[in-house]
This record gives sequence, structure tokens and C-alpha cells, in this order.
Amino acid sequence: MKILAIDTSCDETAAAVTEGATVLSNVIWSQAAMHAKFGGVMPSLAQRMHKERIDFAVRKALLTTHCTVNNIQAVAVTAGPGLAIALEVGVAKAKEIAAKYNLPLIPVNHIEGHLLSPLANHNEKVSFPALGLVVSGGHTELVLIDKIGEYKILAKTSDDALGEALDKAARMLGLGYPGGAILEKMARLGKPKTYPLPMPMARSSNKESFSYSGLKTAFFRLVSGSNSQLTALEIYDMAASFQNRAFQHLIRVVTEIGKKYPAKDLLVGGGVAANIELRKRLRKLGKELDLKVRFPYSTKLVGDNAAMIGIAAGLRFPDHDLLNTYHPGQVDRKPRWSIDVDY
Amino acid sequence: MQIVKEKDASIAKIVEVLNRGGLIIFPCETVYGAAVDAANPEAVKKLSRYKQRLLGKPYAIMVSDQKMAENYAELNKTARSLYRNFLPGPLTVVSKGKHKVAAGVESENGTLGVRIPDYSFMLKLINGFGRPIVATSANASYKKRPYKINDILDNISQKQKRLVDLLIDAGELLHNEPSTVIDTTLDDTVVLRQGKVVFGQQSSVVSRSEENTQNIGKELWQKYEGYAGQRAIIFALEGPMGAGKTQFTKGLARAMGIKEEVVSPTFSLELDYGRLVHLDAWRIQSGEELENLGLKKKISDKSILAVEWADRVADTIRKYNEEAVVVWVKITYAKEENERLISWGVV
Repeated sequence: MKILAIDTSCDETAAAVTEGATVLSNVIWSQAAMHAKFGGVMPSLAQRMHKERIDFAVRKALLTTHCTVNNIQAVAVTAGPGLAIALEVGVAKAKEIAAKYNLPLIPVNHIEGHLLSPLANHNEKVSFPALGLVVSGGHTELVLIDKIGEYKILAKTSDDALGEALDKAARMLGLGYPGGAILEKMARLGKPKTYPLPMPMARSSNKESFSYSGLKTAFFRLVSGSNSQLTALEIYDMAASFQNRAFQHLIRVVTEIGKKYPAKDLLVGGGVAANIELRKRLRKLGKELDLKVRFPYSTKLVGDNAAMIGIAAGLRFPDHDLLNTYHPGQVDRKPRWSIDVDY
Repeated sequence: MQIVKEKDASIAKIVEVLNRGGLIIFPCETVYGAAVDAANPEAVKKLSRYKQRLLGKPYAIMVSDQKMAENYAELNKTARSLYRNFLPGPLTVVSKGKHKVAAGVESENGTLGVRIPDYSFMLKLINGFGRPIVATSANASYKKRPYKINDILDNISQKQKRLVDLLIDAGELLHNEPSTVIDTTLDDTVVLRQGKVVFGQQSSVVSRSEENTQNIGKELWQKYEGYAGQRAIIFALEGPMGAGKTQFTKGLARAMGIKEEVVSPTFSLELDYGRLVHLDAWRIQSGEELENLGLKKKISDKSILAVEWADRVADTIRKYNEEAVVVWVKITYAKEENERLISWGVV
């Protein structure tokens, strides 16, 4: 079953064609090119750009696979979570196509897309229950996947998302915004133990959530406490120290909770999953907990994209007959849709 | 296409190629790049044809020094600090452009990426040319990173080859990453002009923990909740990174009976908890953008809003001084590590 998928949840206008877990095309038109990886949005501009580009993205997604809408059996669209005025552009376009060609329309949760993105073009079998970790600019969630479509949130952030914390730390170092990706590069050149930063929630009894606000505050004090202009070396070491603590905390919470569940697989998605150091630490955690750690096969599946939306829809509805669940008229944007709630 | 070795290349000849709108492929400290004259619109179009690049994706310019950069982009404090620390080097610094380059080089928002290569041949070339070149990696979009000229020649079509006027071969380059791009246009430049705000009454208190800060949120809610349903209430929060604006809102929300966990809205810009709408102006570039999130309607619906980084959009919030109850809350760091001074006042 071929699915045409659309995602306009943030600042990438994305369309894709997928079949089951196979990506046939994956068109991403970024509004702010490379530097928008984790954010940087002007809402009205984002909306206008989505409107201008969505037709082109859809056409290109179809053309790349030598398809027309007539070869498509369903339309999938991100209904949430995301920026309302951005989401509504994709939802309106999906509804229009579904109605015009009399196709079923599947509303997909953007986080479910990230969660299942490691399964794209993936042949090995994943056993359930599996663990899933979504780390991006807007989300940090550890999820228990009982099976495709049944999710339980085991831990999420109580303040900042991981990607947001990295971006803000980069900003404090004068590395611009969003700067998580550059922070990673600076951190590679620095020594992570140079500056003592607190371990988030070290004393808290609540081990079921992530928190980056205390670390952010300590970092602010560290950076602003330095009277003179920071040298490149200091910037490297500060970046390394911050990133180290942020990841240690993530790994600790995932380990604590992860070992309680009989999972064999850990799926990792979202923008921060592109971070090499984080990948290394998660693989190490996988070895310790006997988990197979899986990342998306391509960086194009890591940031926001529509292929992951098509895959989530395709895995959830492998059978065409099951599809008559939603009438296009019933589908609307849900800006704060949580992954553990059915549409 | 003409191929010359770097050691045999003459700067004057290359300048001549650039001056007549030619496209060159050149070595630098990252990967092989393709470049044209940044001021020549036809040449930039040619570069886009070569790159087979989607419209709307901005380019970066290469300059020889900061002085040349300042003729083409407005460097703020962040940008200047980056230039000082990291340039020349594999870093593209995005600033507000001065619109002196050909169309399509700056982004749709008018920002411009600038880089100073850490490669003496290129610095000499740009110096000789006297103005910036538009430079991008020499591979077609989404193709292999070019570290030697065959990485390019084996992967481009005849049509693309015909677009290249001159190729400067320096053998195999060190396998460095392409340059990193940093956007400096989001700077904390908008400062609340405190002088304009006249508080009717003002109070302040010291918080010693996150819980304290949350409780102050709760108390302020109890103080002003009498207006709920009659007028919109805006809690306009200001304070540096990590001061506790989200913590304050957590307390506010809990006092309002909201069960959901309140988290930072920086990425989402807006999180709607039903009774309370939590907004964040940090990534918003102007007050107008706040209006585009439907501020006017929220005010006329008598909503209750908590706005983080409200000082960045102070002028917009001030427009609603009559229609809404605006409670300005300022959180600042105090002497002790966990201490904050929280002061508030109603306009």
C-alpha cells in the first residue's frame, strides 16, 4: 500500500511516498536551510512558506517515485504536536487531496513518526515490547512501545527538551541559535571534566523525568561568572562539560527505567539523534542492558521529515481494509497531541 | 573547463574569470568549493544551475577579512566574538545582510552567511578580487563531499561540467567537515525600556529555590485571579536564561488547577493548557509575530497568558495595557547560587 505523507509541523515543508516501512521518496524543503535544524521560526512566515511550497513538495515526492496520486492508496498527515498555524497548512492540503481522490486520511502523531523512524528501510524484526527514545528541540521522551500504536510514556522532560538545552547552552557561549550542532563540534575539542556542573536531579526522588533547567542555570552562572572574553579553549571545555552532563543525565534516566522492562530493542529518533557522542553513549548503554540500539538509517530521517509519518501510518495500518477509520472531515490539527492518547 | 594546479595558478587569471561571470572550483580547508562573483546575478544563477539547487536555499559568501565582511553584513556582538575567536576557519556566521549581494544569496529573511577561509591561496584570491565570492561545496546537492577533484568530476553530468570555467586542483584535501553554520541574528538586543513602564504598585521578594519560585507564581495568581473572566490577564515574565520563568509558570498553572506538566515553550512558541496559554518570545523576532499567534483574539477572549521573554515584545504587550491586566514579573539572579529576586508590578 503506497502512502503519500505530509508534515508541516515546524519549519520544514515535507512530503514523502512510502510503502510499509520502505521510503520511496522523502522531500524536505527547509525554510531556513541548515541552521534551522532545531528551531528558529517566525510563525507567520513559516505558514506562508508552507502554503507556497506544499504543492511543489507533494509533486516532487510523487515525481521522484514515478507515481501519480492514482497510484496512492492513502494519505497520512502530521496532525500534531506542533505549531498550530504551521500544522494546519499540511492538514488542509492532505484533506484536499484525500477528498479529491477519495482516499482515506490517516492523522499521525509527529512524535510517533520520530519514534518509528529507525524502522525505515529496516529488515530485521523488532521484538515488542520495545523502548523508544525521542530527543529533539521540542521533545525528550522515553516511551514503552507495547506494539505499534500502543505507547506508554515512561519519562519526559519536566522543563526544557534536550535539544533546547543544548541550543541554549550554545547561545550562552555566543555560538548563535540554534547551536546544538556546533556545540557538539566544539565539545569534541574540549575536555568534559574541566568544569564541575551539577548532575540534574541528583537528589530528587522523582527519577521518572528528565530535567535540564538546573543544569542550564548552573551553566549560565559559569559562563557569566567569567569576566573576560572567553577563549576558544574555554569555549571548547565549557561545551564539552555541558554536553557531558546533559547526556549523562539522559543515559542515567534511560538506564534506570529501561532495566525495569523486558525490552530487546531501543529505537532512537529526533534531531539530537544525529549527535555522534550521544549515539556512542547509547550504544554503550545498549551493551550493558542487552538492548539492540537502532537509529534512523539516514540523517534525512533524523530531523523533521514526512517519510517517518508515512512509515508510522504504514506500520499502523499494514492492511488496506483497516483504513476506513477516518473520514477526511474528521481530521483536524491537534497542536498538543500526546503520543499516549489515541487520535 | 580548464584545470590548473594550485601551484601553477595565477591569481590575476582567476580574478579575470570571476570578473566575467565565470564559475571556479577551488580548494580550501574544508572541501572543494564552487564559487562565482557575489555581486553578479547571472553568475549566481549559473552557480544554482551547477548545484541543481532548490530555490530559496541561501548561499554564503567568502570574504578575506572582517573589514570586508562588515561592508556586506551587520555584525552584532555575538558575531564579532565569533569572528575574533574562530575566523578564519570552518565557520559560517549568519548575520543581517546589507543587501549588497545578488538576489538569492541572502536568505528570505535577509540574513547573510559569511565565512573567512583558513586557506592562504583563497585569502589571496579574494583579496585580489577585492570583493566577496559566493561559495558552496562543489558537489551537487545531496552528493558526496568532494575532497579530491575526481569526487566532483565522477559525480557531475556533462551539462554541469560545461558550467565550470576553471578548476584549481590542490590534490587530495584533508578530510575535514564542511563548515558549521551559526545564526547570530537572534541576539538579546531588544531590551525593555523600563522607563516607559510605570508601575501602579510594585513589590519584590527573594526566592531561595525552584519550589519558592513556583509558590510565588501561585501567590500572584491568587492576587490577580479576581480579574479572571472580566479581563484578560497577562503575566509578562522577564529574566535571564535559567532564572526560573518556567518554574514561575508551573506554580501559576498549578494554582489555576491545571494538572498537566508545564514545560518550556521555547521550541513550540505556544503551549495551550486550556485555561492558561504559555507563550515564549525568545525565538520570536518581533512583536508582530506574537500578534500572528493570535494575541488579539486571546485578549478579547479574556484568556490568561504567561509570556516568557516578554521584554523582547514589550511594545506589543503594552498595546493591551487598557484591555488586559498586565502583570510584569522580573526575575533576576541574586548573590547566593539558588537565590532570585522576583519583583512584580501592574501597569
